[in-house]
Amino acid sequence: MTRRLALIALPALVVATAGAAAQPAPRDLTPAPRTVEVSLTAAPARLSLVPGTTTDLLAYNGTVPGPVLEFREGDHVVVHFRNDLPVMTTVHWHGFHLPFPSDGSPFHPVAPGETYDYEFDIPPGTAGTYWYHPHPDHETGWQVAHGLYGAIVVRAPDDPIASLPERVLVLSDNRLNPDGSLDLPDPGSHAGVVDRENGREGPLLLVNGQEMPELEIRSGEVQRWRIVNASAARMYRLTIPGHPLLWVGTDGGLFERPVEVPDITVAPSSRVEVLVRGTDAPGSRLVVFDLPYDRYIPQTRRKGWNCPRRLLTLRYTEEPPRRQAVEIPATLRHVEPIDTSRVTATRLAVLTQGMINGRMMDMKRVDVDAPIGATEIWQVENLVGMDHPFHLHGFRFQVLDRNGVPEPFLAWRDVVNVPSHETVRFVVRYDDFPGKWMFHCHILDHEDHGMMGVLQVSQTGEK
Amino acid sequence: MNERMRTTAIAAISAVALLAVAGAARHPGGGEPKPDPQVLRGRQMVLEHGCADCHGGGTNPAAPGFLAGMRDTLGQFRIGPFITRPRNLTPDNTTGLGRFSERQIFNALRFGLRPGETPDVEITSTTPGQGNYPLHPKYLAVPMPWPAFRHMADEDLRAIAAYLKRGLKPVRNLVQDSDGPPDFWASEYTAEKIGTYPAPAYPTANEK
Repeated sequence: MTRRLALIALPALVVATAGAAAQPAPRDLTPAPRTVEVSLTAAPARLSLVPGTTTDLLAYNGTVPGPVLEFREGDHVVVHFRNDLPVMTTVHWHGFHLPFPSDGSPFHPVAPGETYDYEFDIPPGTAGTYWYHPHPDHETGWQVAHGLYGAIVVRAPDDPIASLPERVLVLSDNRLNPDGSLDLPDPGSHAGVVDRENGREGPLLLVNGQEMPELEIRSGEVQRWRIVNASAARMYRLTIPGHPLLWVGTDGGLFERPVEVPDITVAPSSRVEVLVRGTDAPGSRLVVFDLPYDRYIPQTRRKGWNCPRRLLTLRYTEEPPRRQAVEIPATLRHVEPIDTSRVTATRLAVLTQGMINGRMMDMKRVDVDAPIGATEIWQVENLVGMDHPFHLHGFRFQVLDRNGVPEPFLAWRDVVNVPSHETVRFVVRYDDFPGKWMFHCHILDHEDHGMMGVLQVSQTGEK
Repeated sequence: MNERMRTTAIAAISAVALLAVAGAARHPGGGEPKPDPQVLRGRQMVLEHGCADCHGGGTNPAAPGFLAGMRDTLGQFRIGPFITRPRNLTPDNTTGLGRFSERQIFNALRFGLRPGETPDVEITSTTPGQGNYPLHPKYLAVPMPWPAFRHMADEDLRAIAAYLKRGLKPVRNLVQDSDGPPDFWASEYTAEKIGTYPAPAYPTANEK
């Protein structure tokens, strides 16, 4: 595999340094209003993740992460995808509510050299931060580890904080050998088994593809950070010393009222929006940390797992403090609760190590069958000593309670972390789109080894 | 007995008979409901094999915390650099065995396979990758004596599973998982070290 990859990569070698800024959006190919048409190509690329070395990666449009795609509510989106990888892939539009053939799940693989058009509408009320990544059966972790991931921003016409300066932070981690190549152990080796069980983590923390980048803020300014966790398994607990964060959004965008938090936890594949208030003096600098998070018990953690890790430098510009106070609205967005009086079924998903309900993924099996338009509760129970972030394709949901404690506020999510030996219940409505939708642990090693199931949504009476 | 008296008597006898039938349905054999013999058998097995010596309660099913797992660090085992913690065997959903099937508990006792890391399937082989035996088996931590328990008869192991699932009240007691890398115990449970299942045919070289 490595040799084949290298041969294909050589003619088109591009040695570039990934930038701290999120990658720019590709050109819109159509003048049609309310339609966004872009080209996206996945191909081998040689990039520098650590100064002084290069790494053979896979990249969307030549960069890691891939370009930030920007859509507006109501847009019609067409993505012309080309697979120039030597392996089969898909592009999954993580968190989007879209027709089944455009979900990019393992049911619609794109072979090497082939193209596939993903086409969908962005529904009103879904403004938020999303991301795209491959989702082939058994190979997602391998492909994401090679650099295939990118952020998506969906904007609303009535966003109350649209005027704030904004940053997209795509967080990922990796493990490199001294020569810069990816450290991907043989699956049968001890290191391979540990990766498979715990989820692959690495000491190299990247923000928009760069180690310890420097971000600027002006004193007195308030910035909106959209944070995407594109890591295979790492839980981030991001903190800015001396700067309480104002948490304003989850996977599906803004929630009703801002919540001040000392740090913010971002589970694998989930997104948060926080406001960062520039309360320090011009010219000052500080380090933004990823605090330790205890997500598993086995004694196979890497050394220093319980130490804070440096993520990026926040540098205050020399400009004089911004004098004009920034008003943050008390109400950001009304989140309409899903009507629980219409619930017709409760689905039980018991998470153990590598399995859901005692079963491993089988593409030929349907695990849950539901009529289109139904409102259902999912009760997700984690029976083992490791957290599992649970993701449902196609339909966003609202968490009702955790261990019986009602959720303090309404928010839209498409992934919820279910901590060790805990239970989370959420409510979801299967609107619009029949199809086979995956539900799975978003620790990519777990997903790839079968911790996934299929929800079939059908027209009433159809089987 | 005139016609009216006879009718009344038949009605009365019928009513008594109906009541008796209804009562029998509620309490087979009359009086208190009779326990499931399989559950009783399982209880006997659990007491005989000293399960609660490690898993809580000792030899007394009336003791608080009977089979509910270790309560403090006195109940744990230090195995080299690792710690083994006897888990909660009561049918609590998230901290005990409530969500595991009786088949998964049977597979734990017969093959030493961790119910939380082994698919809920019937296993027909002891060769990894064959007959639903996992290619990468995840074993219960040492010193759980499953290499001895596995030689019990099928119906006895099934009875233990029935007792744990249906004969106990759930107790919520979260026991931290035992330590050890995921592939650690595999090297301890080879046929060279623990013998085979089924055991070699009688008589072996040691037997007469």
